[in-house]
Amino acid sequence: MADPVPHKARKSPVSRRSFLKTLGVASATVGAAPAFLRGRADAQDFHLKAVDPAAKAGGTLRFGILNAPAHFDVHQSGTIANLGPQAPMYDLLIRRDPRDGNTIIPDLAYKWEVAPDGKKYTFHLRKGVKFHDGAEMTSADMKATYDRIVRPPKGVVIPRSSLFTAVGEIVTPDPYTIEFRLTEPRPRAFMLGAFASGWNIVVRKKTLDDNQGNLRQVMNFPGTGPFRHVSRKDKEVWIQERNPNYWNKGLPYLDKLEIYNLPPFSPELGSSFLSGKVDYARIMDPVSWRKAKEMPGVTATAMNQSVIQAYYFNMKRKPFADPRVRRALHLATDRHVLVDVVKDTAPMQVGGFVYPFHEWSTPKAEMEKRLGYQKDPKAAIQEAKKLMAAAGYGQGLKNLDFVVRDIATFKLWAVAIQAMLKENLNVETNLRVVQTSQWFDEAAAGNFDLAISAVVSSLMDPSDYFTAWYGKNGPQNYSGWTNEEFHSLAHNLEREVDENKRKAMIPRAEAIMENDPPLVPVAWEQIYDAFYNRVHGQNATKFFGIYDVTRWDTVWMS
Amino acid sequence: MQKYLLRRGLFALGTVIGVSLIVFVVLRILPGDPLVALLGVEGHAKMTPADRAVIMKDLGFSDSLPVQYGRWLRDIASGQLGKSFFRGDTVRDLILHRGPLSAEIALLALVISWLVGLPVGILSAVRPNGWADAITRFLSILFIAIPGFWLSMLLVLALLFWFGYKAPILVVQVWENPWQNLQIILGPAIVLGLAQGAYIARMSRSCLLEVIREDYVRTARAKGAVERAVVLRHALPNALLPVITISGVLLGFVLGGSVAVEQAFGVPGLGRALVTAIIERDIIVVQNLVLLYALIFVAVNALVDLSYAWLDPRIRYQ
Repeated sequence: MADPVPHKARKSPVSRRSFLKTLGVASATVGAAPAFLRGRADAQDFHLKAVDPAAKAGGTLRFGILNAPAHFDVHQSGTIANLGPQAPMYDLLIRRDPRDGNTIIPDLAYKWEVAPDGKKYTFHLRKGVKFHDGAEMTSADMKATYDRIVRPPKGVVIPRSSLFTAVGEIVTPDPYTIEFRLTEPRPRAFMLGAFASGWNIVVRKKTLDDNQGNLRQVMNFPGTGPFRHVSRKDKEVWIQERNPNYWNKGLPYLDKLEIYNLPPFSPELGSSFLSGKVDYARIMDPVSWRKAKEMPGVTATAMNQSVIQAYYFNMKRKPFADPRVRRALHLATDRHVLVDVVKDTAPMQVGGFVYPFHEWSTPKAEMEKRLGYQKDPKAAIQEAKKLMAAAGYGQGLKNLDFVVRDIATFKLWAVAIQAMLKENLNVETNLRVVQTSQWFDEAAAGNFDLAISAVVSSLMDPSDYFTAWYGKNGPQNYSGWTNEEFHSLAHNLEREVDENKRKAMIPRAEAIMENDPPLVPVAWEQIYDAFYNRVHGQNATKFFGIYDVTRWDTVWMS
Repeated sequence: MQKYLLRRGLFALGTVIGVSLIVFVVLRILPGDPLVALLGVEGHAKMTPADRAVIMKDLGFSDSLPVQYGRWLRDIASGQLGKSFFRGDTVRDLILHRGPLSAEIALLALVISWLVGLPVGILSAVRPNGWADAITRFLSILFIAIPGFWLSMLLVLALLFWFGYKAPILVVQVWENPWQNLQIILGPAIVLGLAQGAYIARMSRSCLLEVIREDYVRTARAKGAVERAVVLRHALPNALLPVITISGVLLGFVLGGSVAVEQAFGVPGLGRALVTAIIERDIIVVQNLVLLYALIFVAVNALVDLSYAWLDPRIRYQ
């Protein structure tokens, strides 16, 4: 099982590599108590604290983040507009350690076991945990929460349901135990990562029953989290106060949270931070972030985000059914230039088809030797021209319909890509800028030749996004791409429990996609945060994405 | 007079109903799926046709258009104006919370436009083709030409980088804290007021130049009246009618312009709420706000028409 480390024992943050190794070692001790619990009277003793022993209670954190959710149902959401303001009010079954953003540690479950065949996950829940309305949290609430996530009722759409397709049955032998019985094994890291996803907040069974399973218009439903709702002004501010009955004694440190609605990359967010109106700004635009970095008493951090920016081919249309044409476009796209084009709009990095910062992906130095990723694009362009000629399009293509989402980065990129394709391959495109809602209509209906957008995954584990982005009929496989070799590989990857074997599959998957591209990777997003140094206890450098660690329970103010 | 008012009222009602029908239909036939904003990109991608049917029914969008329109009229009659497509907040609460800020901005912009535009226009008219006239004409054209959104951005950045200043982030009503409230509305009001003031300056200049050549002005001068009295008491009132007319029209532009300017200043007014609602495709909010703007436009123009009789006793309504 995962081996949570008590905070006193941790001298340095645990890397993903060491964590996965730990998982491998721990699998040999399935069923036994975790190492850090042995010799202790009560496993429920695992409680979280800030790393700094000088951490003190009190104060108000003014946090700037998108806080204009389209609805209030976190399970049904896919945007930080929900988790940004709502995550502090809720807990999870297990969670990512907010101090390193990575290690999986106990939350409402204080320990867990995984059956040797990998088909049963048993979680032991804390006793005496209270929802904000005073009711005790039991396995019935946990089951109701996960029943809903795994198999949502009609009219309830939960993007993470696909992570739990192997879950067959959810059983509660007693009020403080819950078992997830899988129909087939899944990799342990994948499953635990899915359970620890910040989206899977635990809600009361009664809340779900009272609202017919739909919380979209229920603003303040009780959680068990470190903060409680006080007031909310739509698209302005959500105020929360310390939960005095929080089960994790000593947390949270802050008395109050004021979460301001300041949209990502907006001048408003930047100016609010630079003028001192918020203490912590998340998803800053690069210009304001660079300014913040120069300010005394301010820390500016960057982290990797769980988003790929890409442009898609309509494979139902003739030229793009040919993998040579797709690879030619892929090679003619200069990613280094594209990252530079938006450097004042949004922070990006170069990458291929797999998260470029994932330890299983091709290392950066090696990647930069590969055609399509080299800083000097000449060789890639020559190869692209040969491919186009071989495919019978040596003279280029004309009048391609290039559908662009009406967002600053996409518009900048579209113009640059249009010029690259014209100059390198004589491929002429007509840009058609549409609102986001229309983009998805057009993509679904196949009304495009090329279309640029971004997609997000819940996990860094490839089994998540290999299915959603590249899978046959995957919900975000907008190209309509199919490759039997890849699909077979992805199928095996999802079911293989040996991490070494899984890792060995990734270069093969990359090679398939390099030669038969399902999309053209444009860039991989980063997140810029900045905070005044009076804010402590947040280490937003090693986080993967902003969705799993936004609870502020270990944060304190000096 | 009563007949005129009745006729005018009926005309206004017809206009408002026409606007409501156009907005209602256009919002429902525009391309784009509002459920993208509701469910997010990932949720939307995973939505099944059965899910869609349930959600559209819950939101009341599976009913026929006449039924939906009738429901909207019922919501208007109840004073609630319907609920946000997404979160369930009533549009009435949104307007009551954010409307005062936008109204203050519009009124202050109007005051600024008159305070700036009228003296500038008079100065230009009484000394035509002099250096003051040249400068004011140049500035008038400049402020007409500069987009309000761009000027707003410059102001925001200048205040931030030179003085480290930013106006309050939240809505602060004038009765809660007048000083903070003023900080929120002043920037947008200045930007909008200067643009309007430029129009008023040009209009008042040309009208005054025309009136100053009239016989009765010459008579006033012949009687020995001082120049200030000739201009302010004899010429100006008669030159004001077109200026008032244009002010009514410009107030409509202020409403339209406030959408971009509020966005640039980050003022949480109705203009910004409208922009957000359009991006989110929150149909219920958009249709109510557009209708509100239309109502204000119609009402302001009716008031302008009525004010003519007060300003010029020769005018009678029939």
